[in-house]
Amino acid sequence: MSTSTPARGAWRLVAEREITTRVREKAFLIGVAVTVVLVAGAVVAASLLSGRSSTEDIAVVGPEAAAIVQSADDGPIAQGGDTSFEAVEVASLTEAERALRDERVDAALVPGDDGGFRIIGLSSVDSTTEQALTAAVSQTVLQANAAAQDVDLDALSAGTTTTTSVLEKSPENEGARTAVATVMVVLFLLTVMIFGLQIAQSVTQEKESRVVEILAAAVPIRALLWGKIAGNTVLALGQVVLVVVAGVGAALAVGELPFVRDVGWSLVWFLVLFLLGFVAMATLWAVAGSLASRVQDINSTTLPIQGLLFVPYFAVFAGNDSLTEVVSMVPIAATMVMPMRLATETVPAWQLGVAIGGTILAAVLLVRLGVRIYERSLLRTGTKLGYREALSLAAD
Amino acid sequence: MIDVRNLSRQFGDHLAVDDVSFSVRPGRMTGFVGANGAGKTTTMRMIMGVLAPTAGEVRWNGEPITADTRRTFGYMPEERGLYPRMKIRDQLVYFARLHGFSRTDASSRADDLLEHFGLVDRADDLLDELSLGNQQRIQIAAALIHRPSALVLDEPFSGLDPLAVDAMVDLLRREAKDLPLLFSSHQLDLVERLCDDLVILSGGRLVAYGPVDELRGQGAERYRVVMDGSDAAWLRDVRGLEVRDVDGATALVDLDGISPTDLTRAALDHGPVVEVSRARQPLSEIFREVIR
Repeated sequence: MSTSTPARGAWRLVAEREITTRVREKAFLIGVAVTVVLVAGAVVAASLLSGRSSTEDIAVVGPEAAAIVQSADDGPIAQGGDTSFEAVEVASLTEAERALRDERVDAALVPGDDGGFRIIGLSSVDSTTEQALTAAVSQTVLQANAAAQDVDLDALSAGTTTTTSVLEKSPENEGARTAVATVMVVLFLLTVMIFGLQIAQSVTQEKESRVVEILAAAVPIRALLWGKIAGNTVLALGQVVLVVVAGVGAALAVGELPFVRDVGWSLVWFLVLFLLGFVAMATLWAVAGSLASRVQDINSTTLPIQGLLFVPYFAVFAGNDSLTEVVSMVPIAATMVMPMRLATETVPAWQLGVAIGGTILAAVLLVRLGVRIYERSLLRTGTKLGYREALSLAAD
Repeated sequence: MIDVRNLSRQFGDHLAVDDVSFSVRPGRMTGFVGANGAGKTTTMRMIMGVLAPTAGEVRWNGEPITADTRRTFGYMPEERGLYPRMKIRDQLVYFARLHGFSRTDASSRADDLLEHFGLVDRADDLLDELSLGNQQRIQIAAALIHRPSALVLDEPFSGLDPLAVDAMVDLLRREAKDLPLLFSSHQLDLVERLCDDLVILSGGRLVAYGPVDELRGQGAERYRVVMDGSDAAWLRDVRGLEVRDVDGATALVDLDGISPTDLTRAALDHGPVVEVSRARQPLSEIFREVIR
């Protein structure tokens, strides 16, 4: 009469259930949407705020000053600082001052008492504006004076130029790189915390609702564990990929292609390391869930894992470069710290290799140990178990 | 057939189950009774493999039982457990698929069981939106969903009204006609009505085991005689029987040499008769006797 055989792919069904129940939750969908919008928005905002194409309006008195502002706009300082200057002609010095007070202009350029020019600001003058205008004044006036004296200015200034170069070039866009690194770390922490707690909670809920006894009678306990890890890994990685794609998409949309090329590889490594780190830690979260007997216990049983997450985080932000270098190669901690280094500096290939190899090894060991503890603690429904007790169970 | 052989389980200093042996035969309902804490649940959990025995073993058709075999069993744990926030039909389909059913087979099986319990229109309700009685029905449906090869049901009838009990008994008779079926219960009248075999535990030890008829028939054949108006005290003078009790027109006797036919004839000789009947010892009495 019996047609039932134990399902070989039971873990796949468990994973499927984890995923479908989660994606049907409104809170989950809203959370993902908010994260995606926040990251994309932050990228766009950062790009806009990074000073690109800011325009300084300069009140000018007289055509000479207007010409100087025009030449400042064409000058190298304006180009380098991504600033443009626009002349706003006013009738008199009083008019210029009024325009400043009304904040219709950012600065004013007026003829000075000594025959030169005067730059006026409301309470201060932007340093780029000051440099650009000063240079333009001296350039324009020098040219005019040279012409009046019948001197060849080019011949006069030949050989006076200097160029600067450095031996160790620091990466461009340092601020933006640091921002990317920070976003990666925060994204890692948040995602691992949220999905890790989700794993622990779903394990404990099955214990608390006693459904675990039926599940354990139906499928091997390790299939339950694999299913939970697989399902939540797919969800977590899916969310992180979505966020990265949204961020990159937003960056491309606002014309940051060169910068995306710059940090592209560190994003790829981030996803690889995230996957490894998440799988390694997923077992720990599941074990923490199996030690709890009620959902309220999860806070205390997951505490060691939260410590494992936050210790490297603080070590990196409080410590120095050499500490960061070491932490970036410690198994599991590497998955959070290494992408950060990859975004901000050039990391030797062997260090990346150590980080990845060590994490894979740690993942294999942790999963093995985790399965042993999980199989023994899952059906202990009486009271909360401690880690020491659980380890002694695993040694049986 | 499930054979429980010399099963023991120790929790710390406490011996919860002590050297218990019995068989659950196919096609017979085996009732499992005992006071609270007698070790019924512990024994059932060991049969299902969710708890390891301290000593002894469980055998299936003469062989040591394997995990694969156990997974074909249907199990209803003492502490009910399903997903509270999952639709009941989805839940049944999920359990069927965990047992290796295809999606289509799982769906039609789930619909079949929901229909039997009249819960088709609740199929998309969450489990915790159902009444306790209906939750219990879903629980038994979950135990039957994969067409099990044997059933181990811990208190399947507790909390059900008489009609619900009947519906569940119908279902068990239909689904488990040829299967070994072990169920525990405190409702002795129900056990009496349903069971073919009986296992009684007390303090972790087996105190009685066998077909219900045999357990009840142990000792003499007991008959009740009710005369129409006249006194039944004449029975004291009849040879070949022993009078247990006489109360006016009613007497309780153990036959010891004469046949029921002789008894009936003798009664008719003494006047009009209302009843001569076999007096079955109620299960509750056996139960009280053996666990004393």
